[in-house]
Amino acid sequence: MKLLSLIVVCLTGGLLLYGTADLPDWGDPNTPASLHLSKYYIENAIRDTEVPNLVTAVLADYRSIDTMLETAVVFCAGLACFMLLRDFTPKKDHYYRHVPSGVILHVKNPDRQIIAGNEFEDMDKEWLPPDTIIKTVCRMLIPFIQIYALYVVAHGDFSPGGGFQGGVILGSSFILLAISYNLKYLLKRVSEKFLGILSAAGVLVYMGIGLAAMVLGGNFLDYEKYAPIFGEHHIRALGMLGVEIGVGMSVTAVMVIIYINIVSEGKHDEGL
Amino acid sequence: MIHYPAIVVIAPLVGALTAGILSFVEERYAYPAALIATGISCAAAVRDLIYVAGHGPIAYHMGGWAPPMGIEYRIDTLNAMVLVLITAIAFLNLAASRPNIKQEMPDRRPSFYAMYLLFVVGLTGVASTGDLFNLYVLIEITSLSSYTMIALGDRDRGPISALNYVFVGVIGASFYLLGVGYIYIKTGTLNMAEFATMIPTLQDSTTILTAFILCLVGVFIKMALFPLHVWLPNAYSYAPVGFARIVAPLMTKVMVYVMVRLMITVFGLDYIFIKLHIADTLVWLGTIAILAGGVMALAQTNLKKMLAYIIVCEIGYMVGGAWLGNNLGLTGAVLHILNDGLMTFALFLAVGNMVYKLDRVQIKDLKGLFAKMPWTMTGFVLAAFSIVGVPPTCGFFSKWYLILGAFKAGAWHFAAALIMSSLICAVLFFKVFEVCFFESPDTHVGHGSDTHGRHTTVAIQEAPAISLAVLGIAGISLIVVGMYSKTIVVRLIWPLLRS
Repeated sequence: MKLLSLIVVCLTGGLLLYGTADLPDWGDPNTPASLHLSKYYIENAIRDTEVPNLVTAVLADYRSIDTMLETAVVFCAGLACFMLLRDFTPKKDHYYRHVPSGVILHVKNPDRQIIAGNEFEDMDKEWLPPDTIIKTVCRMLIPFIQIYALYVVAHGDFSPGGGFQGGVILGSSFILLAISYNLKYLLKRVSEKFLGILSAAGVLVYMGIGLAAMVLGGNFLDYEKYAPIFGEHHIRALGMLGVEIGVGMSVTAVMVIIYINIVSEGKHDEGL
Repeated sequence: MIHYPAIVVIAPLVGALTAGILSFVEERYAYPAALIATGISCAAAVRDLIYVAGHGPIAYHMGGWAPPMGIEYRIDTLNAMVLVLITAIAFLNLAASRPNIKQEMPDRRPSFYAMYLLFVVGLTGVASTGDLFNLYVLIEITSLSSYTMIALGDRDRGPISALNYVFVGVIGASFYLLGVGYIYIKTGTLNMAEFATMIPTLQDSTTILTAFILCLVGVFIKMALFPLHVWLPNAYSYAPVGFARIVAPLMTKVMVYVMVRLMITVFGLDYIFIKLHIADTLVWLGTIAILAGGVMALAQTNLKKMLAYIIVCEIGYMVGGAWLGNNLGLTGAVLHILNDGLMTFALFLAVGNMVYKLDRVQIKDLKGLFAKMPWTMTGFVLAAFSIVGVPPTCGFFSKWYLILGAFKAGAWHFAAALIMSSLICAVLFFKVFEVCFFESPDTHVGHGSDTHGRHTTVAIQEAPAISLAVLGIAGISLIVVGMYSKTIVVRLIWPLLRS
């Protein structure tokens, strides 16, 4: 079997080498790849779309349906993590912390529960007291990370960045919150329901922009058709900003959904 | 402006997202949302088909950008037909499988509908796009959703078969993507129609040949052509019923459509049959797939596994037929995409009904099933006849074109394999019928299936009415499509091959 795999690998490698025989030279400016489409994009993108960042123009305008479907892939990944990992079985053991004294109670009988209030706090087995230094540093960092993330989303059409990158940064700020405090704390701030809705709503924003263009008489995702409402000026840039925000929403939510489900094995307990 | 090509794909996506939101807000509306979305998609696909049959292909420019710059969705008679098949099966299956889904996954039903619709988005997109890279993105959606669904199936073996599928599927998709990369570096375009205009000047390029082989191997892995089929039987037999009923008839067939599209539209018949000399090899591969699939199906004791191997066998029909190198073979292959989709759908509907009542479908557990589930078994028999190729069911007609094509091309081995596989399928199904009809269930029954005790045997225990109604529709459509296959060939398939 190993020998067979080796033969297959060698054959594939040979095929790839055979394919390179006819490839254009490395760095040659006169290749079809740089003369045909990319030439058009470089020469006309700014005139067509009024967006200085050509990469965004290609991704979010010329090939916007690709990007929409990629966002749907991201949503699909989040949904997959939720469906496969989320554990709905109720916990058997319950742990409570008596807040004034710090004593921990372990209740094994699932019928007898202490109502968590001011005196007692509901907690999980894996709970560890968060470190004050880490907590303080992260508490100061997180707002800046989030502002930066919003900047990256909003500036996608002017400078490197965009919804995917900004969304990842924003999502990572939430993950940092979960790491420095704990998972329960994060879920108190942003509930699972909110994340689930946000992940779908992001793609819906993207699609909504496309569908509204359809209603206004254009093709799907044809931002030009918004001109009567928002004016001719930078109309395509505006459309791109809209879809980038949608992408950012989805990516943020999906990052957090994947994290919380993988790290707690779907139980959403305290701990990391 | 005709928006139907976009609506076919967008409606299920809107449905998926709405169902995703509703699964957190108001669970009970997720199902109606999914049903409406597939319904709209189906109506749009039918509208597409009617328009295309009358007026010729539609090119829909996404974002308003003309093809080489933007992405084009191009609908001609071939993919209009495939789209109607996909959306109709998606809609009917959603109606039929609701009881099964309720039974199998009570706690994550609403998200199941969201994932199901994402799968439909992928399939309809693959069938309608005219852009090579967009095709890859859509294959990604299709694969990702099917990995998830399969992992949600059988509690013990679902995850492991899904994992195997992930490994193999990712390799397949990567091969395809690598091929697209080679195409782009040589031509600078991703649009199928524009690439087709460049291919005459690039006939001698080794890069294009490599690209073609890579794309083809990727598609072969995804469609489970014989030596690359190992992921399929476990994945399809351990998937939840509600999903197995759509993935089994459609996934492999849509990949066959992609192969036909690559042959006809992208690389062109001149290039693949006159310039390259691989057609004979591929007909042999098809022949081997038919025989191997048939023989492996004979060895199975589980009904679902047996059907999964029959799918492997049917893939051989379509690959071999498409590569025969004449119009008759290609017609047979394209017609068989439609027919095999319907036949497999009907078979899996019937098996799903059995699973609903029996839980296990080892062939030996099916004793006395004709008495217990007469309607389900009627549908099963009809679909089985179609697989075997008994007229007037549709399976006969596509097989007829394939055999004629094989004779015309002088591919006697392929013709022999087709006839052999009909015999093997006949043996397979009559083995099942024998158990279901003649063996009485009062002999000892193993492993605590539902059939314990004599009193349950006589009473009719049918699946829910909606599942039976859909099975009825599928069964009737097998005969109707069979009777109108001449019209389908003349109106939809030949215009495509002539151009």
